[in-house]
Amino acid sequence: MNARLARICVMTGVLAVVLLPIYWLVSTSFKSNREITQEGTLYPHVPTLDNYVRLFTEKQFGSYLTNSLVVTFFSVAIALVVGAMGAYAIARFRLPFAMDRKVGLFLLTLRIIPPVVILIPVYLLMLSLGLLDSWLGLIATYTAFNVTFCVWMMESFFREIPVDLEEAAMVDGDSRFGAFRRITLPLAAPGLAATAIFAVLVTFNEFLFALALTATPRAMTMPRGTATLIGRIDTDWASMAAAGVIGALPIVLFALLVQRHLVRGLTMGAVK
Amino acid sequence: MQSGTQARKYRLQGAGLDLALPYLMLAPGLMIVLGVLVYPLLDGLKASTRTYRYGSPISDVGLQNYVHLWSDAQFLNSLWVTVKFVALSVSIEAVLGFALALFCLREFRGIRLLRTVLIIPMVITPVVVAIVFRLIYASDAGMLTALSEAMGGGAMQILGNPLNAFIGLVVLDVWEWTPLMFLILLAGLQSLPQEPFEAARVDGAGAWRVFADLTFPMMRPVLAVAIVLRTIDAFGTFDQVFVLTRGGPGEATRLVSIYGYDTAFKFQQTGYAAALFVTIGLVVLALAFSAIRLLRRIDAS
Amino acid sequence: MTHSSRSRFTRRSVIKGGFGLALATTALTALGLPMPARAAGKKVIIGAFADGGLTPFKQKIIPQAKEAGFDIEFLEDEYGVTLEKWFADAQSGAGQYDLYLLDDPWVPQFGAANVLEDLGAGGVDGADKDWIGSMIDMGYWPPQKGPRVKGFEDAKPTLICVPFVGDLQTLTYRNDVFTGGAPKTWDEVIAKGKEGVAAGKIKYPVVFRGVSGNPIVTSWYPVFLSFGGAFFDDKWNPIFNSAEGKASADFFVGTMKQNAPSGVVEFDQDQEGAAILGGDAGAIIQYSGNALKADDPAQAKVAGKLDFGVVPKQQLAIAQMGIFIAGVPKSAPNKANSIEFLKWYTSAATQAKLSEAGSIPVKRSAFGIAKPGNRLIPVALQQLDAGALPRPRTPDWAKVEELLGIELNKALQAGSGGGAALDTAAKQVKEYLTTAGYY
Repeated sequence: MNARLARICVMTGVLAVVLLPIYWLVSTSFKSNREITQEGTLYPHVPTLDNYVRLFTEKQFGSYLTNSLVVTFFSVAIALVVGAMGAYAIARFRLPFAMDRKVGLFLLTLRIIPPVVILIPVYLLMLSLGLLDSWLGLIATYTAFNVTFCVWMMESFFREIPVDLEEAAMVDGDSRFGAFRRITLPLAAPGLAATAIFAVLVTFNEFLFALALTATPRAMTMPRGTATLIGRIDTDWASMAAAGVIGALPIVLFALLVQRHLVRGLTMGAVK
Repeated sequence: MQSGTQARKYRLQGAGLDLALPYLMLAPGLMIVLGVLVYPLLDGLKASTRTYRYGSPISDVGLQNYVHLWSDAQFLNSLWVTVKFVALSVSIEAVLGFALALFCLREFRGIRLLRTVLIIPMVITPVVVAIVFRLIYASDAGMLTALSEAMGGGAMQILGNPLNAFIGLVVLDVWEWTPLMFLILLAGLQSLPQEPFEAARVDGAGAWRVFADLTFPMMRPVLAVAIVLRTIDAFGTFDQVFVLTRGGPGEATRLVSIYGYDTAFKFQQTGYAAALFVTIGLVVLALAFSAIRLLRRIDAS
Repeated sequence: MTHSSRSRFTRRSVIKGGFGLALATTALTALGLPMPARAAGKKVIIGAFADGGLTPFKQKIIPQAKEAGFDIEFLEDEYGVTLEKWFADAQSGAGQYDLYLLDDPWVPQFGAANVLEDLGAGGVDGADKDWIGSMIDMGYWPPQKGPRVKGFEDAKPTLICVPFVGDLQTLTYRNDVFTGGAPKTWDEVIAKGKEGVAAGKIKYPVVFRGVSGNPIVTSWYPVFLSFGGAFFDDKWNPIFNSAEGKASADFFVGTMKQNAPSGVVEFDQDQEGAAILGGDAGAIIQYSGNALKADDPAQAKVAGKLDFGVVPKQQLAIAQMGIFIAGVPKSAPNKANSIEFLKWYTSAATQAKLSEAGSIPVKRSAFGIAKPGNRLIPVALQQLDAGALPRPRTPDWAKVEELLGIELNKALQAGSGGGAALDTAAKQVKEYLTTAGYY
């Protein structure tokens, strides 16, 4: 009985700590600025949808969402294809000069370096290529980051798939690439899914490079667009809260939908 | 970080396309990475030995930028703030995450709800997490102030007081990332072999003994990996601070990432900022690789 | 063949998923991008940072610009990133904007990098006597008066920016506390403010911004100027730690802090605004964006009790001036439209409309119209004539402000040592400018 009580207490405590901040964000987004700064209410006394309407009429949240979807989709898709092939190459083949091992280590090293370290040179690169404030600039950058990650994750999935299956297919007349495409890749599908989900999360949420590389609604992604409202000169709390809700909604829904795969993907690398 | 079992691999054999296959498969990925990550990295090294004025390089200064870093009070302060922030947040997250994972190890009603809810903080866009916490801390519009006023108190000052703002930032990080710690450690706990625990139960060992003699030692590798992952990540923290405090008040929450960003973009000292970031990259790499070596040693013993 | 069935499943679902996403994207693009068919006109893409000071322009002038044949695209971003964004845009020639609405201290950086169009050559008359002199002066690089940074000593001043919306600090005070009109001196602010506190009308005599960096420096600056301080000498040596400067800093972190809300160290514009609008504070020096809220009952609890005046003096009554100033990047895609728009906008007629809409204009004639949009406008002219100074014209002002702001903020937290803070800051500024090659 005691243990059960303790369990309920801990559960309630954790839920409150996690959900209360989110409640406050959502509830603030339905208040007017006057109510927020001068009345300090605990829930919206005069609920309004104005804050949300403003995001799509006065601000360009429609464009931000489009940009985010396009950039996330292409950079994840390209990275998955390219990354899965690369991972297969180093997981399955013994290359001269231990290249298979070295490439893996090299990509891991790149992954460990905090992204902010290469912010300036990437920015200078995009500037010299004329790719600032464009989908292409963002897609190229995110694809590169995602490739390091995809190769690293997929390599371990491919290793778990027995070589014998491929050999059997090759005996049946498949080419080596055919065996990869028709046998190994499908078997690695759950791993691919976990990798993709993780990449989507990271890419959709990315802010630093979006901040440096975009300047107008032409290419601003959701987090970057949200940050146009964090004003320190004139804080529009109500819009900021609504922007927070809109900015986070797509990715939270996505994460909850694919929960199961997500948890596996997140924990897999570490536990193994 | 994968251990042990080296899977069987193909030797290169055959002729024609099959011989070139691994290279063809590896090439696109490597090309993207070389072009978009490695080339800029080398470019950054070059930039770090120059002085920029009004956005263009004007002179080569060799390693002077690197030397100057160590007499730049603002850089040293930002480094110190970063170390404090990482150490404090990651250790709190590890302890809380471990405790929660132990608590959730046994299935009970409501656990699925708990796990679902715990996913939310770590998937929310970091920029939005910072907005959430600004809405909590703000002295005029904040939740803490509203609560305190509802109970008859005055406005709460969090983001203005240097110590409070720093603690506020740590709390944000703990809120956001404890769930990840929790999930990793829970998966680790669930993958532990059952026999030793059953044997201990038969022997009548108390809960504390089981934890100290079995759970903790067996969990050490997973715990270490989780801590290393979080530490690397925390070193690069930028978004949350950028939105929450932009480094203030004063320099109380100015992490190296923020100082580097401002140095590059606000003060236009591109070369100096490049040197700063190269230094940070090296520090993190050194940390990570010594941690990996340490892990191997734990694994081996 | 289990794996083949699995394979089909995966491939199909992947393709389906991708297709769905692409479709959704296209649909969103179709919905999101082309807002109601654009009125054809002379396109001008304006970049601005989010600031209440531009509200009258947005609400009243942009519609008139459309009638005048301009197609205005107005892009706002957060203040903290606009400088680097626009500078990058101008420097790289990316051509994302036709017009930047800059904060005036940024002009030197753009000027030194030579990335803005010569507006004088474009036909804007900088010599027009109708300009507020101190405002149009800020549009020249190198500056016509005062010290010049190295490399520009002999360059001919060029008009690279024109004033867009005037703004400067004035005093907002409670007329039920300061019953004899605007307080003339700082001593009066504190003394009468204390009486107001004792009478229960207000909680604090003054309020200001204490947050490190630009905010605290902005709040301290008019005090510094009123005490008779000067920032740099002719050779760019920092002299703000003179006796007058130190007295102003000690007064700021000591007396003013003691008479301000306890959390003033963390106050930025929101908090100081809330303190004056919510009825807690007796007086405040602030820019017009916030001052204008005083007459709006929806935002001010004490609307009707707030009046405007010239800033208090110790020796002088000088305010800081910080205006929106417009520059056209050399890379602007619609350069000609943009300059034409500026000519239309800065004409006496449009400026009169701006004044009517409630913004501080940049032409003298527009101050004198029959019905200015708010009662702050005549006060602003009084302040301009009493004295208003821009910040020093150096591209390194951002760093200087930061170094000084950090030290002032530390002293403010301690509640003492303002003078010593200025000494430390002066030393750091001198070091920084030395490495930047100033001497």
